[in-house]
Amino acid sequence: MSGGGGLRNGRECGEDAAAYVLGSLEPAEAEAFRRHLAGCTACQQDVAELEQVTGSLADATVRYEVPRDLRRRVLSEVRATPKARASRPARVRRPVVAWGGALAAAVVIVAVVLVVALGSGGSSSRTIQASTGSAELKIADGRADLIVRSLPHLSAGRIYEMWVQRGNATPTPTGTLFAVTSNGTAAVGVPGGVSGVSAVMVTQEPAGGTPAPTTAPVIVARLT
Amino acid sequence: MLGSRGRSRPADLKALADEELMELVHDGEVRAFEVVFDRHATVAFSLAYRMCGRRAAAEDIVQEAFLSLWRSSRAYDPARGSVRSWVLTVVHNRAIDALRRQGPRDRRDVPDDGIAERLSAPDRTDAEAERRDEARRVRTALDELPPDQRRVIELAYFHGFTHSEIAKMLDLPPGTVKGRMRLGLTKMRNVLSEVSV
Repeated sequence: MSGGGGLRNGRECGEDAAAYVLGSLEPAEAEAFRRHLAGCTACQQDVAELEQVTGSLADATVRYEVPRDLRRRVLSEVRATPKARASRPARVRRPVVAWGGALAAAVVIVAVVLVVALGSGGSSSRTIQASTGSAELKIADGRADLIVRSLPHLSAGRIYEMWVQRGNATPTPTGTLFAVTSNGTAAVGVPGGVSGVSAVMVTQEPAGGTPAPTTAPVIVARLT
Repeated sequence: MLGSRGRSRPADLKALADEELMELVHDGEVRAFEVVFDRHATVAFSLAYRMCGRRAAAEDIVQEAFLSLWRSSRAYDPARGSVRSWVLTVVHNRAIDALRRQGPRDRRDVPDDGIAERLSAPDRTDAEAERRDEARRVRTALDELPPDQRRVIELAYFHGFTHSEIAKMLDLPPGTVKGRMRLGLTKMRNVLSEVSV
């Protein structure tokens, strides 16, 4: 283990690695450490080595049997969330909302914070707007994850769908459909990352998704 | 792709490594996903239940972790870690979020609600026996740490406390808490790598 190396804000940079892999840094510290990590090979090595240990800590727990209804629920949700658009069954045509109108109709009720952590070492924090709940978009090493909180549970037959927009082009479906947990949270990857993407959006759609939105977006995360 | 050739019988799938299964999951193969779920759901649920102490919360966390794996399979990169570590990282992060919403007072001693069933089934496969041995090695490595190091690691990892909260709770400087975390994890790493050689 490297034991750290350089200095970060006047401190030995390796000193936060253990707290980081244990998930024990304060949120602002964790964010700062992630930015530092992108450019510090000593800390990258530390984190990789210590993560092997934290990864094994889960093995130290007493084993409990997975409830059968949990398995059934997960698989049922998976079957209701087809991945390949081409394999979806034909759908009845539904009213399509034009994106211009949909975006204009995304009435802002709650402002939420979008945190963008760049793998290149830079970072920024921006305010984005959502019609409900809150969202955070985390970007690191070319991978992007959208974390939503306090979104309403949708009724049977409805699901959240993610879209990306490149430049000013019409947003396209990502193929990512998701439901939220009982407390309204979900974490979903943005397929292919956000290189060249100007906005990530989420709409509420019929189960199975749609090739064009039928409702106004509840989340619009602009990246440019 | 196995699925498109009609070879995705459960027996075939069970012989595949996680990385191969994830390629099928990426293509929408539900049976491959089932195998991944069956392989890792026990440890995922056990971790979530150990952290939250409530079956309903643990179920929500595990459900969300596996659905995230299904929805975001395109983002899975074997070079960045195993499927198991991805699932457990998501479970751990979600459980910490859930614990932190409860407030610190409720987290220190998380009593389980006694609803979940302890797993006492005998090992059915070599892989399960191997995992059980690994679990024993990790528990031993953790138990053999000096108590002050073990305590900060357990408070952080299993109870979701930040280092500042732990420092306040134990009346220690934050730097001491971070130092104990580092020493403890480093010792565990050394012990585990010696054993597994």
